[in-house]
Amino acid sequence: MCRSHRAAALAGLASVALAGCDSLESADASQSGDGEGTIELAEFPDRPYWGDTHLHTDNSVDAFGFGVRLGPEEALQFASGQEVTATTGMAAKLARPLDFLVIADHSDGLGATRRLYDAPRLGVLAMGDDTLLRWYDMMHESPEQSQLAIAELITAAANNNLPEALSDPARQREATTEIWNTHLETLDRYNKPGEFTALAGFEWTLMPNGNNLHRVVMFRDGSDRTGQVLPFPGLSTTAEQLWDYMSAYAENTGGKALAIPHNSNLSNGLMFEMTMPDGSPMTAEYAAKRAASEPVVEVTQIKGDSETHPFLSPNDEMAGFGVSGWELGNLPLTEKTEPEMFAGSYVRDALKRGLSLEEQIGANPYAFGMIGSTDSHTSLATGHETNFWGKHSGNEQSNETRAQDAQNLGTRVGRFGWHYLAGGYAAAWARGNTRAEIFDAFARREVYATTGPRMSVRVFGGFDFSDEDWSDDWVRAGYSRGVPMGGELTGRGKSPTLMISALKDPDGANLDRVQVVKGWIDNSGDAQERIYDVVWSNMEKRAKQGGKVPFVGDTVDRANATYTNDIGAAELRTVWTDPDYQEGQRAFYYLRVLEIPTPRWTLYDAKRFGLELSEDAMNDAVAQERAYTSPIWLRAAAPLIMEEG
Amino acid sequence: MNWPSWTREPLVHFLVISAVIFTLFAWRGNEVDPSSRLIDVDRDLQGQIALRFERTSGRAPTDAELDQQIAQYIRDEVLYREALRLGLDQGDPVVRRRLVTKMDLAASAQAEVATPSDDTLRAWFVTNEEHFIEPPVFGFDQLYFERARDALAALKELNSGSEWREIGEPISLPPSLDRAPPREIEAVFGAQFAAQLNELDAGDDWLGPIASGFGHHIIRIRSKEKSKAPDFDTIRQDIENQWRTATIADRKQKAFELLRDAYRIEVAE
Repeated sequence: MCRSHRAAALAGLASVALAGCDSLESADASQSGDGEGTIELAEFPDRPYWGDTHLHTDNSVDAFGFGVRLGPEEALQFASGQEVTATTGMAAKLARPLDFLVIADHSDGLGATRRLYDAPRLGVLAMGDDTLLRWYDMMHESPEQSQLAIAELITAAANNNLPEALSDPARQREATTEIWNTHLETLDRYNKPGEFTALAGFEWTLMPNGNNLHRVVMFRDGSDRTGQVLPFPGLSTTAEQLWDYMSAYAENTGGKALAIPHNSNLSNGLMFEMTMPDGSPMTAEYAAKRAASEPVVEVTQIKGDSETHPFLSPNDEMAGFGVSGWELGNLPLTEKTEPEMFAGSYVRDALKRGLSLEEQIGANPYAFGMIGSTDSHTSLATGHETNFWGKHSGNEQSNETRAQDAQNLGTRVGRFGWHYLAGGYAAAWARGNTRAEIFDAFARREVYATTGPRMSVRVFGGFDFSDEDWSDDWVRAGYSRGVPMGGELTGRGKSPTLMISALKDPDGANLDRVQVVKGWIDNSGDAQERIYDVVWSNMEKRAKQGGKVPFVGDTVDRANATYTNDIGAAELRTVWTDPDYQEGQRAFYYLRVLEIPTPRWTLYDAKRFGLELSEDAMNDAVAQERAYTSPIWLRAAAPLIMEEG
Repeated sequence: MNWPSWTREPLVHFLVISAVIFTLFAWRGNEVDPSSRLIDVDRDLQGQIALRFERTSGRAPTDAELDQQIAQYIRDEVLYREALRLGLDQGDPVVRRRLVTKMDLAASAQAEVATPSDDTLRAWFVTNEEHFIEPPVFGFDQLYFERARDALAALKELNSGSEWREIGEPISLPPSLDRAPPREIEAVFGAQFAAQLNELDAGDDWLGPIASGFGHHIIRIRSKEKSKAPDFDTIRQDIENQWRTATIADRKQKAFELLRDAYRIEVAE
C-alpha cells in the first residue's frame, strides 16, 4: 500500500509542476512532414547520403535486455554528430555524422522490456508468469544477468514460447500506441531537411524455428501519417500480411512504406525460396507483391555478410567476406545450415533465382537493390572498424575481451566475438537530404551497400557510353543516355555498356579494384554468374597473370594495427562493355568495389587492450572492405518475348 | 497560472518530493511498518491489485483470479517483511540497483516530460550560445593533383594567369562548391581537407596545395561567411532538445550532490 500511495504522490506532484508550464508544442512544420518542398534540390542526385536503416534502442525488447539504456533521442543525437554518454559510461561521438537514420526497434513487445524493467515488482508478480518474473529479476541484478535473461527471451521467441504478456498484440496495443507516438514526435524533432533525416520504421521479426526472416520497415512520412498506424507484429504473422499492412497504410494515409529483408544468411534458405512459403509453386501475384514491397535488401551488417558464400561461388576468390561463424546455422543456432540451404540464404543467388522465376512465371520477386546497415543494439550507429561499439551493450568498448568471447546468444557453440563485423552503412543517391528524397532513392534502388567505409560509387548502364564521356559532364550523360544503379535497361540486341566510377572514402583506405558481377540465364535455362575485374589500381604494372589480377599487396602492421595508402588508387574509372553478351540475354550487373587490406576491429582491439588474439581470430584480423551496388537489369527487348538464351 | 519562479527550481521539486515521501512514510508508518504483524488487505489495496491485473491482462480479474492475486500478495508481503526483518535487503545488488534507479528517476522525471517556457529556453540559449553558433560557409574552387609537386607547378601557372578549368587531373569531385558548411565539405573532401580550408581566408588568389585523402588540391576561396549566432526562433527545437538532455543530467547530479553533502565520506588510501 505504501508503494502505490507513494507513486500516486509522485504523480500528483508532477502534475502540479506541469500545470505551471506552457502547453505542449510540436516540431516545426517542415520537420514533421515528408520534407517535400522544404529545400532546394539538385538537378541530379549530387552525392551519396550516408545512413543506417537498422538501429535498435532501449525500445527494443532484446536491446534493453542486453543492457542498453540509451533511447531514440540519444540515438538521433549520436547519429547526427552530437556527443552522448554510452550505456557503459564512455563518451561517444561519431567522427563523421550520418545523413539519415531509421530507428528500427522490434515491433513485438515494443518497449516491453523497458516497461517490464520500470514496472513495480508487484505489477510483474500480478501477471502470474514465473518466467517473466525471473527475467525481471535477472534484468535488475546485473548487466551479465540481464544478457542471460535476454538470451533466454530470444530463444523463447525463436521457439514460439514467449510469455503471453510479451507476445499478445491485444495486450501490447495500448502501451505500444503510447511509445510509438512519443517516438514519432522525437523523430520529427530531430528531422531537419537539408541536414539530417530521421525516418520512422520498425523491425518485423518473423523467425519460424529460429530461421531469420526479419525485415526492417521504413516509412517516407512524418507523424501526421505514421501516427495513424502501429508497428506490425512479427510473431504469428506472415510476410504477405506485412505487405498487406504496408499497402493498407499507403491507401489509407497517402504515405509510403517499404520493407528491407536482412540476415538472409541466418534464414537457412527460407529468405529467398523458389516456392511459396508453404512449398507450393510461386504465383506471379506473390512475386509481384514481394517485388513491389521489398525493393532493397540489407546485404551486410554486424551479424555477417550475405552477398555470397564460397560454396555457391567457387570461382569467386573474393567470396566469403563475413561468412565464417554465421554459416553454421540459423540465428539462435538451433538448426544447422546444410549446403543445399545456401542458395536461399545469399543475395547473389537470390538475384539469379529472380531471373529464373521471371522466366517461369513472368514476375521477378527478387529484383532488389542492396544496402548495408549496422543492426547495432547500442543506440549507437557505428559502422567503422575503428569505432566498433559491439552488437549490444554487453560488448561495448569497455569489454576488453569481446573479440575472443564466445557469442552464442545463450545457445550452442561456434560463434565468437571476432565473427561479428563492424559495419555496414547504406548510401543513397538523392537530390537532397529529406525524407522524401532518401526514401525515393531506396524505392528506385539507387542505393548501395558498404561494409563501413564511405566510398562514392557510381554506375550507369547504357549502350553508347565511351571514354570520351569522362571529359564532359559524365553524370548528366549517365542520366540522360542511360540508367543509374537500380535501373532497368531494355535489350537492344547489343552488348550493354557500364560507365563506372569508384572514389575512395576521403578519410579511409585506397581502392584495390572494381569488379562487375554478372548473373544471367544460359541457353539451357540455368542461372549462371561471372566476376569481371574491370579496373584496378596500378594497372600498367599489375597486369593480369593467368587471367587473374595479382594481389594488391598488404601494408597492415599486425602488431600496431596500422596500414598505409602506399598501394591502391584514389579513384577507379572505366567504361566497360560486356564481352560475353548474347542476343536476347536477360541479366543483371552489379559492382563490387574492394579496398586495399586494412585492420579489422579485432586488430584495433588487440592493440588497444594488449590482447593476444587466437589463431583463428588473427587469421581473420585483416580484410578488404567493400561496396556492393544495386544491380542494373538487362531485360529482354520489349514487347517481352520468351527467348531462350 | 503564475507560479513564483522558485517553484520551477528542480532542487525545490526534489526537496518537496523527498519531504512528501518522508512524511508519507512517517504518517503511514504504523500501517506499513515492516515490523508490524498486521497485513490489512483493505478495499483500497484490493482495488489496486485488481487494477494492476486489468492493466497487464487487458480485462478485469474474475473473483477467483482476484482471490489468487490477493493470496499471492499476502504470501509476498509476509516473506517480504520477514526478509526485511532478517536484513536480507542489505547488500543485495538487485535491491540496491533498483533503489538507485528510483532515486535518479525521481530527480529527472519531470524534465523528461516538461515543456519549458520561452523564457527558460532563452535564458539557456544565452548561456550556452557557443553550442548553437552556425559554422562558416564556404564558396570555393579546387583542382586535384595526385602528386604535390604537380600541384605546386600548377599553382605557379595559375597565378600567372592561365585558365583554371583547363588545369588539374580528372577525379569525380566537384570543382566548385557554393555556400557549403563544414559538414558538407567534410562529407565530400574528408576531414583533413576541411580542417585546412577552415584556416584559410577568402581572396582572388589560388592557394595551396592542401592535402586530402585523395591527393593534393590547390584552391581559391571565393567566399567565406563568418560564423554567426543563430536566431532563437528558427532553432527553438534544437535548443529545447539540448535543454532537455542537459536538464535531466543536471537534475540527477544536483540531487545527488544535495544528498551526498549530508555524508562524510572517507576513502582509505
